[in-house]
Amino acid sequence: MTQARPTVLLALALLQGCAATLPTELARARLAYHQASMGHAATLVPADLHIAHVALQDAEAAFKSDPRGYHTADLAYVAERKAELAEALAATAEQEKTKASADVQYQATQQAIIVDTRERLGETQSDLAASQAATARTATQLSASEAARVLAEARTAEAMAALGKLAAVKEEARGLVITLSGSVLFRSGESTLLPEATLRLGQVTDALLAASERMVIVEGHTDTQGSDSFNLDLSQRRAATVRTFLVERGYDTARVRAVGIGEARPVADNATPEGRANNRRVEIILEGRSISGM
Amino acid sequence: MSPLLLPQLLLIGAAVAGCAKMQTLHIESSASAIRSAEEHGAADVPQASLYLQFAKEELQAATDLNAKGEEEEAKSLLLRAEADAELAVALSIVASEKAEAEAAVARVQKLRAENPTSGGGR
Repeated sequence: MTQARPTVLLALALLQGCAATLPTELARARLAYHQASMGHAATLVPADLHIAHVALQDAEAAFKSDPRGYHTADLAYVAERKAELAEALAATAEQEKTKASADVQYQATQQAIIVDTRERLGETQSDLAASQAATARTATQLSASEAARVLAEARTAEAMAALGKLAAVKEEARGLVITLSGSVLFRSGESTLLPEATLRLGQVTDALLAASERMVIVEGHTDTQGSDSFNLDLSQRRAATVRTFLVERGYDTARVRAVGIGEARPVADNATPEGRANNRRVEIILEGRSISGM
Repeated sequence: MSPLLLPQLLLIGAAVAGCAKMQTLHIESSASAIRSAEEHGAADVPQASLYLQFAKEELQAATDLNAKGEEEEAKSLLLRAEADAELAVALSIVASEKAEAEAAVARVQKLRAENPTSGGGR
């Protein structure tokens, strides 16, 4: 330490001596040029950096010939400014690049927006066209359906009017019930249609065919004369006869069902001849409207 | 008067006039640089305004020196004035370019923010 101390003091003295002879302006100019040459100026504004270098060389030359002269200090001052100027010009060039890049990005984004908007517009137009076509189809279907419904209702109304002239017709919860007197259709105790019944039942069938989309149930009913089992069997056979007649006349076999009820559901008093006559009957039940809108 | 004296006087007079004219040119050059800095708005840019102020002071000092007949020192000082004025111009332009660049970047960001599906990821 004792040997190193004089060396350090000597170095400090030399530095102080240098600092004393070197003008502050020149020291600052050297530092400024060094900073500028290490920055972007070398790549962005090499010509301006070269001017700064030349200015520094002029100052260094002046320093050699006249270290303490005012002109040396002024040239060094100018050299410092030239270095700072090069840095400022480099900064300007950088900002210009940033702006140019942002402008390019702006235009690209705008272009992307235009393309995207056009695509969306195209999709919207396609959707609109499809929607309009679907609406038109629906309107057409509705129109056809409505026409069919009106026609069917008219046919049904006509059929019901015709039925009303041929038999007793009434609306019940289970459907439209057409009641034909048993004595008109069959001989007592038989299940074969009378010849004159064929005409009347044919007319009823024709009316029913106007509503052929509906399910039909043919029910046979008897009075209480005779045994229960006989009456049940008789009513089943009579119902089956009428069902066969309807099918032969064109009613869909899958839509007609025959049921024998026997004496179980009288509509009148079996104690009187008139009551029994009313109980001997065939009911044709036209069930409610089908899905097709009947 | 010696016949040789007149041409000598004329020569000296021409030289003095020439020096004065040259000095005027240097002052004018520095003054022109200062005007340019002012036109670029250096007075409104903090850093640039500092160098503009330096240039004005140096020009004034050089004019005073010139008036005292210290032309060489005045001429040397004018170099400082011109350099400071040039730097003031450059710093004004940097500030202006920076503001424009920042506005351009902000414009892109705003456009992308307003249209996230179109340009946000590009």
